[in-house]
Amino acid sequence: MGSTVFVIWRESVEAMLVVGLLHSWLKFNDPGGAGKRSLALGVLLGLGLAGGLGWAMVAAQSELSGQALEWFQVAMLLVAAALMVQMVFWMRRHGAAMRQSLHHNLAQAAERSGRLGIAVVAALAIAREGSEAAVFLYGASLEPGAGGSLTLGAALGVAIAALTAWLLSRGLRFLDYRRFFLISGWMLLLFALALLVSAVDRLIGAGLLPALVDPVWNSAWLLDDGHGLGSVLAAMVGYRARPSLTLLLVFAVYAATVLRAMRTARRHA
Amino acid sequence: MLHLLMRLRAVLALLAGLCVVPGALAQDLPTFQLLIRNARFEPATIEVPANTKFRLLIKNEGPGAEEFESVELRKEKVLAPGASSFLIFQPLKPGLYKFFGDFHPETAQGQIVAK
Repeated sequence: MGSTVFVIWRESVEAMLVVGLLHSWLKFNDPGGAGKRSLALGVLLGLGLAGGLGWAMVAAQSELSGQALEWFQVAMLLVAAALMVQMVFWMRRHGAAMRQSLHHNLAQAAERSGRLGIAVVAALAIAREGSEAAVFLYGASLEPGAGGSLTLGAALGVAIAALTAWLLSRGLRFLDYRRFFLISGWMLLLFALALLVSAVDRLIGAGLLPALVDPVWNSAWLLDDGHGLGSVLAAMVGYRARPSLTLLLVFAVYAATVLRAMRTARRHA
Repeated sequence: MLHLLMRLRAVLALLAGLCVVPGALAQDLPTFQLLIRNARFEPATIEVPANTKFRLLIKNEGPGAEEFESVELRKEKVLAPGASSFLIFQPLKPGLYKFFGDFHPETAQGQIVAK
């Protein structure tokens, strides 16, 4: 049962963190409650998508459908990363736009697209992780002697993940708003980086991107990305013990772009 | 309704056609088999030729689901119980590459040795 708890925790904690951070942010920035409704809609949509994608993973048995699923997952990683980054910058601009009643119409349009962004980002986070959890549970339910301990393990895993996310977003809220905002923004940008790294690695693995120099270094002796802390960091922030040059270049471009955009956003805030 | 279904099928066939090129090439690749049974890999060590593109056929005999994963090899594949799938590997330099079952990491450990 212990492994069920851990697998379900790991497959749901990131999505819960995303939802938790968005919810905390909306507490400060959503007087009408429309944003929270979008978030709830995104969560429901994500659960539905997770079920559908999990079903596709079980059903995709032939070579063709397996390959199509692979492309779909890479595309989903890239879209999720892009939307996550866009949302963080929308959140940064949000405060400033709200104060300018002169551009009320503009602000309203930005509001609507921002809320849509929140819903889609939450939905994609849940769909990605939830689909794997669904396949795991489906498989585990077929194992002999499953049943009670499985249900309990899965429920415990979800509960501990929810607690982790709640404690973190709660803990962050004890900080003053500016700092909460800064830390949660950077966390979301790190999650987006992990998605981007994962997509690039899959493309290199599929032979669609050259690795250039592979690997540039090997820090597996220090922190292995295959298990324990290293694998959690690999999944959440994109740590790689043996990065290729292509990956490092993508990382450099991402870091430069994000840092520049953060500076510009600060000047305008 | 029938019309719509037929159109959907045409779109799916087109999408499948777009993916057929790597699939067709895959037929000629050296192929290796990997079995997942009772949360273990069989064989746990797979020897492959170095600097050669190859294909790994994976079959999960269950009873649970498994995720074949290797950060090092840049692969990740979820397999439901009873499912078979395949992965194409780009040429590997000589060396040892570890992989593991993400759903049962305590027992499901394996390695690819490229020679």
